Amino acid sequence: MNERANTWEFGTRQVVYGAIGAALYGVFSWATNIFPLPAAGNVTFRPAVAVLIFFGAAYGPWVGLLAGIIGNTLGDMLTGWGVFWNWSVGSGLMGMIPGLIMAAINDFRARNDIMKAVGWGTLGIIVGMLFASLTEMFVGGIDLNTALLGYFVPAFLGNLIVTVILLPILMIAFAAVAARRGR
Amino acid sequence: MLVTWKYRLRNTFIQRLDPRTRFIYMACVIAALTIPEIWDYRIILPLFVISLTLYLMARIEWKDVRRTWTYIIVLVFFIVGLNGMLSGRGGPSSVTSIDSPVVFMVGWVPVTISKIWFALIQIMRMLTMAIPAIMIPYTTDPNIFGTAFRRMGISDKVSFTMDLAFRFMPTFARDLTITMDAQRARGYEMDKLKGGIVARIQRLAPLVIPVVMQSTVTGEEVIDAMDLRAFGTKPRTWLKELHYQPRDYFMIGLGVAIFLTCCILKWGFGVGGYFVPEWFSRLFA
Amino acid sequence: MSESPLVIENLSFQYRTRPEPAIQNISLELKPGEMLLIAGSSGCGKTTLARCINGLIPRSYRGKREGKVLLHGTDVSDMQIADIAQIVGTLLQDPERQIVASNVFNEVAFGPENLGLPRAEIVARVDQAMERLRIEHLRDRETFNLSGGEKQKVALAGLLAMNPSVLLLDEPLASLDPASAYEALEVFRSLADEGKTVVLIEHRVEDAIAARPDRLMYMEAGQVKYLGPIEDLPVEINHREVKLPADWVVKRVRQMGEKIDKPDFSPNTLQGDPLIVFENVDFRYSEETPLVLQDVNLTIRHGDLIAVLGPNGSGKSTLVKHTIGLLKPTNGRVLIDGKDTRTVSIAQIARVLGFVFQSPTHMLFAPTVREELEFGPKNLEFKKDAMEKAVAESLSTVNLKGLEEYPPLGLSFGQQKRTTIAAVLAMRSQVIIMDEPTAGQDYANYTHFMDEMCRPVADGSQSLVAANFAATMFITHDLDLAITYANRVLLVGDKHIVADGPPEEVLKDFDLLMRYRVRPTSLLRLNVEMLPQTKRFLAAEELAAYS
Ligand SMILES: Nc1ncnc2c1ncn2[C@@H]1O[C@H](COP(=O)(O)OP(=O)(O)OP(=O)(O)O)[C@@H](O)[C@H]1O
Ligand SMILES: Nc1ncnc2c1ncn2[C@@H]1O[C@H](COP(=O)(O)OP(=O)(O)OP(=O)(O)O)[C@@H](O)[C@H]1O
Ligand SMILES: [Mg+2]
Ligand SMILES: [Mg+2]
Repeated sequence: MNERANTWEFGTRQVVYGAIGAALYGVFSWATNIFPLPAAGNVTFRPAVAVLIFFGAAYGPWVGLLAGIIGNTLGDMLTGWGVFWNWSVGSGLMGMIPGLIMAAINDFRARNDIMKAVGWGTLGIIVGMLFASLTEMFVGGIDLNTALLGYFVPAFLGNLIVTVILLPILMIAFAAVAARRGR
Repeated sequence: MLVTWKYRLRNTFIQRLDPRTRFIYMACVIAALTIPEIWDYRIILPLFVISLTLYLMARIEWKDVRRTWTYIIVLVFFIVGLNGMLSGRGGPSSVTSIDSPVVFMVGWVPVTISKIWFALIQIMRMLTMAIPAIMIPYTTDPNIFGTAFRRMGISDKVSFTMDLAFRFMPTFARDLTITMDAQRARGYEMDKLKGGIVARIQRLAPLVIPVVMQSTVTGEEVIDAMDLRAFGTKPRTWLKELHYQPRDYFMIGLGVAIFLTCCILKWGFGVGGYFVPEWFSRLFA
Repeated sequence: MSESPLVIENLSFQYRTRPEPAIQNISLELKPGEMLLIAGSSGCGKTTLARCINGLIPRSYRGKREGKVLLHGTDVSDMQIADIAQIVGTLLQDPERQIVASNVFNEVAFGPENLGLPRAEIVARVDQAMERLRIEHLRDRETFNLSGGEKQKVALAGLLAMNPSVLLLDEPLASLDPASAYEALEVFRSLADEGKTVVLIEHRVEDAIAARPDRLMYMEAGQVKYLGPIEDLPVEINHREVKLPADWVVKRVRQMGEKIDKPDFSPNTLQGDPLIVFENVDFRYSEETPLVLQDVNLTIRHGDLIAVLGPNGSGKSTLVKHTIGLLKPTNGRVLIDGKDTRTVSIAQIARVLGFVFQSPTHMLFAPTVREELEFGPKNLEFKKDAMEKAVAESLSTVNLKGLEEYPPLGLSFGQQKRTTIAAVLAMRSQVIIMDEPTAGQDYANYTHFMDEMCRPVADGSQSLVAANFAATMFITHDLDLAITYANRVLLVGDKHIVADGPPEEVLKDFDLLMRYRVRPTSLLRLNVEMLPQTKRFLAAEELAAYS
């Protein structure tokens, strides 16, 4: 097991997990477009988001940021929905913000550490999706209502629910993996 | 489930463009319309035509883009167009001016000529900016992204992250397929997700967890492999080379020209603001 | 650069997170062109030693390090990683995880690119390395869809492009089929002949011998037990920890005077009633691609313990995926208990037939072993008490009792493997099918695992699988597994089943095997030799009972 990095370090480790996070985010976003997933109204659920936030929380802000930006871009490349910079940056923020508490998480099994991750993950979702929706406002020339109701709310709800459900499961599983590898 | 990129070598003018050129041109068009806040159809229409021409030049097969376009159209027409028509907000305030004649009512919401025109303009304006973005997946080889980033001044490490991610996607897609088979062999049925939303999302764990956890293990070995090959110890040489060709200078020139023209027209001559042309109003007379 | 390329002086290392040292005062000196084979059971410190040599220790892995590792006279801990990288080239176990570029050319160029060399030189080095390994034809291929053997050659080329004087190969054969493994060993030998110092880490001494290493170093619990020529490897070395040639094993067992009684002869019951039937099955993955299976006819019967052999890409996995309905035949049909797989859901088939995938990490996800085992039965809508009974029983069958509440992902590889078996057991399937159950595990682990699964227990009663399943089928690249455990062998080659029958019949045709890239092993040769006495194929230890 290699050394655990401190929050703002940026070396091979961050490059590799940034890339892996991005690849996973891309693949899962793409897969959810192929396989039927529960959806309510125009709220779609993307497990990819939980994975992204997990990578942020587990490997730090740089990893989260890169995984989000690159992952979203590659995901769009794969599905073919054009490449929209503002949603990529939004995803980046969504992964980066939970990364800020990486250092504060010592036990991925512990209830309140999981809470921390979910909390900051939620913050990430809010900031990230707000950014993306509001930029649509300036770029698309839509009004605040449309931005909030048409873009932000559905994205936020979907991502939040997925994260609240899947992030803890991911963290608990990760705790076991990490333990096995003598970290 | 194999990863198949939308990109196919078509060797069109658009495709031969340097990826950087695409980004720069796209940025120019977006800036041109948003920064000086252009709402004048006499400017937007030509730009829309240019975007459309570029799109047609790319010779993207329709079967490839059908899904995308349906998605975009729905989005643009319903969320943006309809909303613009009803509320009329999002653009300049003049759109909602009361002296514009009401065409019909939706419930208690008056739909004025001005609002209708605004909706049309807005849709065209969005598409003008969206089309260059929509083209990218079909005309850009993701393989080249890393190099392109590097040449746009982004650091070695970040640029390589792009390449590495690209390298891993097929691997994880395959892992996902294998995991899916493995779980189905245990009676797990993706399409038969019972229960409420929570239960159904929980049912995704058997697919997500194995793939993600395996990837975290893989990572540790990749780190070693890269350190052992001196990654990040010195400034890298990037084997792939990118050189601007005349066509690139042309496109960038065009982009910049568009941007400057819009700025000058708007701020220099006050042209480009929102207004409803006579002939359009007359349609409703 | 006059000093010998690699000198180790009583080196010890203890991982920061471990109470005990991983390796203890190891000393050795290697000359240019010398090849050292390092063998030892899992966890004995081989990889740790490798990490000390290539500088990952002390750089990436923290801990207490004593002693010296000198590369051409300078200690690694005083060198830049960039400099070490140009002296020591390290090949990791799984090439899949070593390859960082999307296409072959960039992969080979990766190292030199990192050194910031001028383009012209990089290209020259890459071409040279590829030429050296005769893989020029792969130059423009994507790394993703290379075969295992090709992947490894590419990874190796990536190292040669840094032209190192020391090559460090950590279990390079683990993920290769025998034929590719043999080719790889030939390459390693030739590199040594060119004056490179080669350190080859490998459990399967028998296979590694093909590379004609000059010396063998045998490790146990972090210490060197033996260092010298392979021939005079002392008999104390445990032949269950490392894979030795069969005749050596026999010699050892005899010398150690281990008491081996002749196993009681249980004839193959090929006349059992049919469970799975293939009727002229053709299959292709898509209209564009050619047939992968053609006119396959096969009947799996009660009492079968089938080993499926065949080269990479011959269609083994495709074949077994038909048995569980993951794939449906393009033409012909597959019947399970008389039902056409097209007419029943996979879930229904799962009640009859359990499929264990190669890597446990592809299916383990639950927070506890119990929940992991309950997953299948829940999907099949077992009644609660029926499920609990099934789970409890399968747990004890694979002796994982006591680990119910333990997270599967935290278990050792062997335990994870058994968890996957238990997960299938819990579904009460009659037939169990395993795709390469031993791939990527070390020798001691997988023989142990297979013994547990397939070997009749001491008191002459049935094996675990025989007791719990009507029939068993496993795909393997390890001929010895087929010899030791199977009562029926399928040889799959170019779209067809080219041979089907008891091992004693199918495997004695060496030309046939060679034609399908299956290399006869020393165990096979010895068995064929002794067949007149033994009447059937046996494990090496058992052969010792005959003279
Ligand atoms: N990163 C690590 N952190 C802590 N302990 C470790 C680490 N890597 C290995 N160990 C421990 O050091 C000991 C030696 O491990 P090592 O990997 O060197 O053995 P090995 O001979 O390579 O085993 P294998 O044949 O399975 O590869 C083992 O007890 C292992 O648990
Ligand atoms: N999902 C797939 N789509 C298309 N072709 C495939 C797919 N899976 C396998 N193939 C092709 O089918 C052939 C048989 O593959 P299969 O995996 O069954 O071989 P195998 O005998 O299991 O090989 P190995 O020993 O490497 O596991 C190969 O040529 C392979 O390239
Ligand atoms: Mg090892
Ligand atoms: Mg296979």
